[in-house]
Amino acid sequence: MLALESVTKRFGGLTAVGGVSLDVDEGDLLGIIGPNGAGKTTLFNVIAGYYRPESGRVVFEGRDLTGHPPHEICRLGLTRTFQIVKPFGNLSVRDNVMIGALTRVRSVAAARAEADRGVERCGLGDYADVVAKSLPIGLRKRLELARALATRPRLLLLDEVMAGLNPAELAAMVELIRRVHAEGVTLVVIEHIMAAIMRLTRRIVVLHHGEKIAEGVPAQIARDPKVVDAYLGEEFTLE
Amino acid sequence: MRRHAGAIVLFGLAAVAPLATRDAYFLDTIVLILMWGAISSAWNVAGGYAGQVSLGHAAFFGIGAYSAAVLTVHWSLSPWIGLGLGMALSVVAGLVIGYLSNRLRGPYFVLATIAFAQVLLIAASRWREMTMGSEGIPVPFKQGFWTLGLASKVSWLYLTLAFALVLYLVQVYLEVSRMGYQLAGVREDEDAAQALGIPGRRLKVIAIAMSAALTSAGGTFWAQYVGFVDPFYVFSIDLSVLFALNAIIGGAGTALGPFLGSILITSLEHYLRATLSDIAPGLIGVHLIIYGCLLIVMVRFVPQGLIGALGALFIRRARTARGERLART
Repeated sequence: MLALESVTKRFGGLTAVGGVSLDVDEGDLLGIIGPNGAGKTTLFNVIAGYYRPESGRVVFEGRDLTGHPPHEICRLGLTRTFQIVKPFGNLSVRDNVMIGALTRVRSVAAARAEADRGVERCGLGDYADVVAKSLPIGLRKRLELARALATRPRLLLLDEVMAGLNPAELAAMVELIRRVHAEGVTLVVIEHIMAAIMRLTRRIVVLHHGEKIAEGVPAQIARDPKVVDAYLGEEFTLE
Repeated sequence: MRRHAGAIVLFGLAAVAPLATRDAYFLDTIVLILMWGAISSAWNVAGGYAGQVSLGHAAFFGIGAYSAAVLTVHWSLSPWIGLGLGMALSVVAGLVIGYLSNRLRGPYFVLATIAFAQVLLIAASRWREMTMGSEGIPVPFKQGFWTLGLASKVSWLYLTLAFALVLYLVQVYLEVSRMGYQLAGVREDEDAAQALGIPGRRLKVIAIAMSAALTSAGGTFWAQYVGFVDPFYVFSIDLSVLFALNAIIGGAGTALGPFLGSILITSLEHYLRATLSDIAPGLIGVHLIIYGCLLIVMVRFVPQGLIGALGALFIRRARTARGERLART
């Protein structure tokens, strides 16, 4: 569904992403982990059209995305969320989600109805009329997800939607992501919270200094000495 | 209907004003309140709804004023044709400014818009054969609707009222339509809007071109009303600031805001001009200092503008009323 072919992105002398290749199949739930500055978010920015790679290609459903602007990539069915959430602060939660829905639906009334369903589905029903900037971080992360889902993606890139959540919120978010996946959306998830990502995903890619150092099923990754050395620090045990 | 109550009252009062009085000074004030309110609304399309704050909208105003005046003087064409030409030229100029808005952010964009109006000012004051240079063009008066030679202030009042209504409706469209919501997204966060499939750059350019064309139409009407086009006035930064000021003081990004701002600023200016010049001729221009202070006070204490302040007041009152009801039960 999505294929990265040795993608490289440099900033001046710094290679943020160096020759990363990666395949995502339809129905996948892929995790991307790695220490801060490993190039995870840069990789998302390249895939979603925010950065143009120096070399390599991004192919989505057989179409070369390299050089396409972000809004076209979204229209093709590939939506991303932002690690530092970007709500439309002065608009209501409903309007935020509705703006996403308007990408697929021309009528404002239909988009509003769809937004109401999306708001409900993401557990934001009580906050539909609240101005987005007054939401606490946990709910902002959910809004980020609700808004992205409203664009009806077939592939969704989630950039640390679980960071900063309390245990109850975290459990709800994991549940929500599972449901979204079960409904047929292919997911690529960047995350730091190991317990969550180890349980959630089926396959994990580890980035370090912009390069892919490991790929495999969670149990395999947790034992990989290179990963333990670069990121996990000590062997991560799945109970 | 309730959300338009303010507009209905305001435009309704303007419509019935001629029944109450035929005082030329009073009617002139209303015409200008509507005219500046409408042109500030045109500014608001770019500055408020799309978040592209320009301090060069006098450029489009001047293009509109000159297009009609030049066509009438040199070729005896109807100012309505000049209105169309001005709008077309302003769309082109708006596309240029729109392109810049995608290259320059924040203060750099503002500076570019100021420079743009200054360039047109120089061009208009030097291109003597066409514009009569810095002396300005007197607009010939020929009675009739087609030549926009309206002898009575009352006719002008209804013409500007119609123009104001059009601008109000354009803004309402930007509040309830698909394009309006998408534009709000772009204004709030362009990156996020793009991630959600909105062609942010294109929408900004469209909004600025729309804003330019509507401002230009205002320029044409103003020139025909006043009867004289002076390059140092129509392309002045004072005028650009006035358009922004009305909208910001009234409430940028709201349909009624620019008109509320215009009521305050236009009537204040009329009043101050008359009284201050009575006191001493040296006091002319003092109204600008008062504007400045007003702007500082507004931005500091009521950043959402008059609309925001009134809205907050109503909400507070509704809350206290509800509180009292709850206390009684």
